[in-house]
Amino acid sequence: MSGARGRPFLGIAPWGVFFAVFGLFPLAYAFVLSFLSLNPLRPDLVRWVGFANYERALASPSFWHALRTTAFFVVGTLPVTLTLAYGVAALLSRIRRGETFFRAAIFFPATLSMVVIALVFKSLYAEEGLLNGWLAAVGLPRVHWLQDPSLALPSIMLMDVWASVGYYAILILAARKTLPREQLEAARLEGLSPLTVERRIVLPHVRPVLLFVVLLNTIRSFQIFIEVFVLTRGGPLESTLTLVYHLYERAFYHFEMGYASALAYLLLILVGLVLLAQRRLIGRGAEAAP
Amino acid sequence: MGAKGDSGVGSARRGPGPAVAAALLLALVLAAGGCGKGESGRRTVVFWQFSPLAAIEPILARFEVENPDLDVQVEQLTWQSGREKIVAAIAAGRPPDLCELGSTFLPGLVADSTLRDLTDQVADLRSALVGWDVSSYRGRAYAIPWMLGTRALYVNDDLMRRAGLDPSKPPATWDELLRAARAITEKGHGAKGFGMSAGEREILFKKFMPFAWGNGGSILDSTLMRAAMESEANLEALRFYLSLKPYSLLERQEMHEEAFTKGRLGIIISGPWLLRKLPESAPELPFTVALMPRPAPGRGTPASFAGAEVLGVFRNSKRPEEALRLARFLTRPENTMPLFVATGNAFPAATASAADSYFVTHPKDRVFLEQLRYAVGPPLHPRWVQIEEIVNAELEEAIYGRKSAEAALASADARINAALAPAP
Repeated sequence: MSGARGRPFLGIAPWGVFFAVFGLFPLAYAFVLSFLSLNPLRPDLVRWVGFANYERALASPSFWHALRTTAFFVVGTLPVTLTLAYGVAALLSRIRRGETFFRAAIFFPATLSMVVIALVFKSLYAEEGLLNGWLAAVGLPRVHWLQDPSLALPSIMLMDVWASVGYYAILILAARKTLPREQLEAARLEGLSPLTVERRIVLPHVRPVLLFVVLLNTIRSFQIFIEVFVLTRGGPLESTLTLVYHLYERAFYHFEMGYASALAYLLLILVGLVLLAQRRLIGRGAEAAP
Repeated sequence: MGAKGDSGVGSARRGPGPAVAAALLLALVLAAGGCGKGESGRRTVVFWQFSPLAAIEPILARFEVENPDLDVQVEQLTWQSGREKIVAAIAAGRPPDLCELGSTFLPGLVADSTLRDLTDQVADLRSALVGWDVSSYRGRAYAIPWMLGTRALYVNDDLMRRAGLDPSKPPATWDELLRAARAITEKGHGAKGFGMSAGEREILFKKFMPFAWGNGGSILDSTLMRAAMESEANLEALRFYLSLKPYSLLERQEMHEEAFTKGRLGIIISGPWLLRKLPESAPELPFTVALMPRPAPGRGTPASFAGAEVLGVFRNSKRPEEALRLARFLTRPENTMPLFVATGNAFPAATASAADSYFVTHPKDRVFLEQLRYAVGPPLHPRWVQIEEIVNAELEEAIYGRKSAEAALASADARINAALAPAP
């Protein structure tokens, strides 16, 4: 390979090494772990168990409970986040003055650590917190946001939507900005209503980005952990026990590293299947869109 | 002396997923730099602990003066992520030489033979320290008691007065506690009487079991081979505990403390750390600290939960002798008292500390010293993680009204016995 041809590879080498060490190797290592019985405190007692960890997971009520909770989270947050992000992007695209300020304000939650966001919401949701203070001020009863098993997960979902909308809105807004102005003006001259313009011209144009947003949000939602770790630790009554929190408990409280790795791979397979289905359902034609 | 901070809970947006192994690997790489010879050929002892560095460093500096051949490399862990960090370091084969461990984490380490048996090396410390029961298993000591924590009753004097009760006579029995909680709720203008833990399952047994222990109950029988949750003593205690619910604020511990600080909660169970916070956050709040209530006058004990910070030496520690030398130094009363005064979280395990003049000028701290005499620790059992999980889950079912007290305790009994049964 000549020096000139090798230069690009040299350029991406640092990233490549980083990805191999912190991405590929752990992925492969976890795959091997998933076939082992391994207590990290007693690595000398490691033994090969084949598919036993996977069989155990599929027969475990806790796994299915955590899967249901995670699925509820994904199904509950994805449409709301997507709709709000699309709406916010549409509104931002119409703002003529102070656009930079509003864009920055909307994007702001994405710049915060989820730990920080969760800690802030923990105070908001507290019995003596701001939200209950507002409810009390208008004569409404206090709500046990995180203590009520039927409200804890929706409360976390609400926080997650707030934290995510801005980021996705900016992505969709960027796609909208690439739409030629002449095309929109021509449509208006043709007498098309704003709704028709949105449906016939804008939506097909931003469809590839929407697909990207759906896939990204799905992956992130399946991986929900920090919110649960900070706010509820899976409770009350396991109402917020998500898959990743479940595998974390198995790994670091019960020291079942092999079983936790099997759970992680089941999650990986599940997310892969869902993403494939999403691509088939809504991705058709996305690549061909203008 | 070297020092490293701890970043606490990870700042990444999402959680471990398949990267659980990555965390282990990363810890392996990071832990690799922890041992060896320090400056000027001195041997380095790696010490991981949970106190703020500002509190522990002056003590370690004195140790280094006293032991010029040793250099202590101290690292601060957080209670949120310390356990994961320790597990990862053990898995990587590079644990610290000396490590502070919480008593609830200890059984798992003992079960997996991760800690050195220190019984013979610390025999001379037996009478100088208390808390050996939480660091010993089947008569063998696997760690050295360092600091001991317990919880007592905090009572809001104003709310007691408003409820027509005498704040100089805080509830001393279950019946008095129930009456006080009810009266405060009914006459407290929106304040609740009692703080009942909810939404943080991991601490429920610490809040309920004191009532059971005080009534003669226990989690396991004396052989530690069978569950004892379904006993009459436990049932009576749980029925009483649940009777407090209508007059309770069901929240997490930190929210109880916040509500108490704001004068909206009459009685809470909390630790000595609140004594340090209240003068700053609520200097005007009149409050009393009292022993936990006993079942009835002249019956049972005012039991509480005993938590211990112990010092353990890992099986594959590189410098066990030096670690033990540091542990011995740290547990001396002249070193534990400054740590207690600085942090206020737990009391010295050194028996001589009780005579310190600090406790003469700080009567509320003295109540905790008295409370420690009645404090009970969780059984140091190899299966404690599973047992604790079961007890907490069943208590949560009872607190949320999904199960009666009888059903919850019967289920806890059956599940613990199943967990303790030898594998087929």
